[in-house]
Amino acid sequence: MRKQSKEKIVTSQEFQPKIIAFVCNWCAYGAADLAGVSRMQYPANVRLIRVMCSATISAHHILKAFQEGADGILVGG
Amino acid sequence: MSEVHSVSGKQGDFTVELLQHPRYVDVDKCIACGLCAEKCPKKVDDLYNEGLEKRKAIYVPYSQAVPLKYAIDASQCIFLTKGKCGACEKNCPAGAINFKDTEKLVEIKVGSVILATGFDSYDPSSLDYYNYTTCDDVVTSLEFERILSATGPYQGHLLRPSSKKKPKDEGRPPVKIAWLQCVGSRDINRSGHNYCSSVCCMYAVKQAFMAKDHSSVPLDCAIFYMDMRTQGKDFDRYYENGKKNGVRFVNTRVHTIQRDNDSDNLILRYVEENGSIREEIYDMVVLSTGLVINASTVDLAKRLGITLGDDNFVKASSFSPVSTSVDGIYACGVLTGPKDIPQSVMEASAAACAATVDLASSRGSLIRHEEAPQERNIERQKARIGVFVCNCGINIGGIVRVPEVAQYAATLPDVVYVEENLFSCSQDIQDKMTQVIIDQGLNRVVIAACTPRTHEGLFQQTLINAGLNKYLVEMANIRNQDSWVHSGEPDLATAKAKDLVRMAVAKVRLSSPLAQQPLGVNRSALVIGGGLTGMISALTLARQGFPVHLVEKKDVLGGNARLLNNTWQGEPVGDKLEKLLSDIRADERINVHLSTSIKHVEGFVGNFKTEIVEDDTPFTIEHGVAIVATGAKESRPAEYLYGEHSGVVTNLELDAMIRTNDHKLRNADNILFIQCVGSRDANRPYCSKVCCTHTIKNALALQEMNPDARIFVLYRDIRTYGQRESLYLEARKKGIIFSKYEPEKKPVVIRDGQHLEVLFHDPVLDGNISVRADLVCLAAAIESYHDESLAQFFKVPMDKDGWLLEAHQKLRPVEFATEGVFLCGMAHYPKPIEESVSQALAATSRALTVLTRDQIMVGGVVSRINPELCCGCHGCINVCPYGAISYNVGLRVAEVNAALCKGCGACAAACPSEAPMLMGFNNEQLYAEIKMALCS
Repeated sequence: MRKQSKEKIVTSQEFQPKIIAFVCNWCAYGAADLAGVSRMQYPANVRLIRVMCSATISAHHILKAFQEGADGILVGG
Repeated sequence: MSEVHSVSGKQGDFTVELLQHPRYVDVDKCIACGLCAEKCPKKVDDLYNEGLEKRKAIYVPYSQAVPLKYAIDASQCIFLTKGKCGACEKNCPAGAINFKDTEKLVEIKVGSVILATGFDSYDPSSLDYYNYTTCDDVVTSLEFERILSATGPYQGHLLRPSSKKKPKDEGRPPVKIAWLQCVGSRDINRSGHNYCSSVCCMYAVKQAFMAKDHSSVPLDCAIFYMDMRTQGKDFDRYYENGKKNGVRFVNTRVHTIQRDNDSDNLILRYVEENGSIREEIYDMVVLSTGLVINASTVDLAKRLGITLGDDNFVKASSFSPVSTSVDGIYACGVLTGPKDIPQSVMEASAAACAATVDLASSRGSLIRHEEAPQERNIERQKARIGVFVCNCGINIGGIVRVPEVAQYAATLPDVVYVEENLFSCSQDIQDKMTQVIIDQGLNRVVIAACTPRTHEGLFQQTLINAGLNKYLVEMANIRNQDSWVHSGEPDLATAKAKDLVRMAVAKVRLSSPLAQQPLGVNRSALVIGGGLTGMISALTLARQGFPVHLVEKKDVLGGNARLLNNTWQGEPVGDKLEKLLSDIRADERINVHLSTSIKHVEGFVGNFKTEIVEDDTPFTIEHGVAIVATGAKESRPAEYLYGEHSGVVTNLELDAMIRTNDHKLRNADNILFIQCVGSRDANRPYCSKVCCTHTIKNALALQEMNPDARIFVLYRDIRTYGQRESLYLEARKKGIIFSKYEPEKKPVVIRDGQHLEVLFHDPVLDGNISVRADLVCLAAAIESYHDESLAQFFKVPMDKDGWLLEAHQKLRPVEFATEGVFLCGMAHYPKPIEESVSQALAATSRALTVLTRDQIMVGGVVSRINPELCCGCHGCINVCPYGAISYNVGLRVAEVNAALCKGCGACAAACPSEAPMLMGFNNEQLYAEIKMALCS
């Protein structure tokens, strides 16, 4: 894990998508925390938004995120 | 890190001495940053990963450990063994290492003791014919479990251990895996365990499924079994799905595993059903090792004076399945017999219930209350936000440039105060933070630190201490979801931290105080169903001090138990029933309603109103909780001449014949049992769980009555799981003939005058056999009453087979998603008496979590519907999983009942006009977060 973290995962020249992730407090958000505890590495261009349940997310939220400039959306729940 | 040193005293007044081993790490100071383990030079086998990889001498046992704090393995630590090193102490940023820590003897006073010591996985090293110790690719099921795990030795990649001896090795995936069942179980020759471990068949199917999922190449999975014992709820469907998904099931016991020295492949030799010997090559073998009680548990039981039964399991009566031979000491889990997770969780609740019955009078006497300062009214105040950015030692600060983040936070709108902390969660900083909130007049707080899942409660308490509503704090997770996962990217991690702080500030600006209101609890219970399960549940609730209404549709209590003779352990059911009946009659707190039906239910947890009709007289019962124990029934078979010939009976009918010592039984020459009649077929694709044991018990009883009779059992898989296996063994020893049939080749029963002729195919003889039988007993399926109205009254779901569906099979096995409604007995799934009793106690235990409170707090993160925006379309009502929304006919709008709402927000997502607002997570806040996440 440590070794992996030293590798450059992304290079600045490439297209960098902005990703919004809506994550359920009880599962996906916890999984993201656990990824941290386990020191797993992933690209830094995702922003997590914690919701109480992924069912909270409607088309409105997804469209709003695209309107604001998101390139990709993940709903985890 | 403690163990029981001694227990003295008696029920209600025990003194327990605990030996607390030194941890050498101060848990109040340790922030679990992991720097100590990184610097520690000593590598040790990681027992959590079954020794498949290494950990350090300072370690956390596994990533989800609670508390998430490091400990030093004293037997391995270089400093503690040789007096040199101390690398952890030098590098710990929190000063948490304490090499002077010592062993302590702690004395505690308790009223009851519960033993939940679990099991060990059987060690197959002594079974030389499996070559477990010499072949790397022969692994135990627990090792395989770790191999499949994302936190396991290969990060969840399915690889052959022989190809991954060093961390640098790339590793090769297996293409053909075999699972060998009953290793250390059902084996009196080598392991000496005659019991069935109950869980291995199901976990082998699960592992085969998961292995196929994890494999990058098409994977050939084969399970070598004796009987597939998938008797649990929905388990048989899973097994059938396994077959459909290409898992091969081979009915034999593999007798040797040998390694092919050239290729590392494994050669399995076994005898096929037709008697021919076959060799097959696999590249990995999983031994489905059984469950064993370990020596330290045996030692503990001795010290406690507890009698252990066969194979060192605690011997418990079927009617008090969590009691031990010592009053006041209870046991649960595998300690009382091999069992799976749902059953263990149920037993845990059951033990909690049994352990508190005799302590009920002193309930709540040791509770201490904290006084909180008056909450400050912040209405119409402009937001004054304080941002606290945590370094978490070097966990955050070592990667994210914290000063830069703090500086940036100060530029955000309405932020009036910013502070950097080394450890925001430490007690001194908490006190300081409380003072800062008061001094600076802050009315919103952002903590940029770790995760709200572990620390939100702590910071909410800080706000309460500072006189602020606890919902006015927001956390920006810049550790678990930033510095830890982007440790090689300090620039990107810093930019992300700024974004996360900006998002949290934007969200907290829009937060408003949320109120929680107390709601009174009606401290009485309604138990529906007067069978054994309902009776035990009612009696236990009464003994815990609560009034109970016990409702039964028939004119007599007892249910199916009235038709049974003995439990599989030989305890007479009738005697117990009589005792229960007299106890119930004697208890003034129990109000029995016979010949009663339920007409209507309204209300919610703590405040239900149920209309019943008792002997044509309507009543209304007010109660705080409901326990559904409506049971199930033996089905009427539609085959094998049942109902057409008097010689064909069901197991319950045979029970009655045995009770009356029927002459037909005494005079019979040949008696046949046919298993799975109406179970495990297309109509009822589930196992009825109790029939195999019932049949064998009856077969043994018949043999006793009539030793000359020849008794046959025609079966598909004998499912005498757990210690019931001893009955099966006894039956075979005593000459009862067992013959397996395939569902495609069912036995045929033909009328032969007074007698019956049964034709069946025996796979071992590979021939057709005809038996002239005097009696044919059918193991008729247990079926549900399919009481849909009851399910609708309490808004509880029912599965395809008619069994009521619990909230979660493993984690909440006796609760429904509807709060305040609980489930036990055969309404959940067919089960034997001891499981019904433990479920009754478990449901009671869960019901006590409501009944023991004077009030429940409602509100907080719940939904609220704006009547101005609601058009009354019912969209939200249809999606609410908790039945918390109702339609107000007068106002023509939907309304949320805060007592039922769990704050999932499904209503908010379903509403076309955004009328529902999830407090603390409303749309305005979500939109602000989205905007702030993307505006950099």
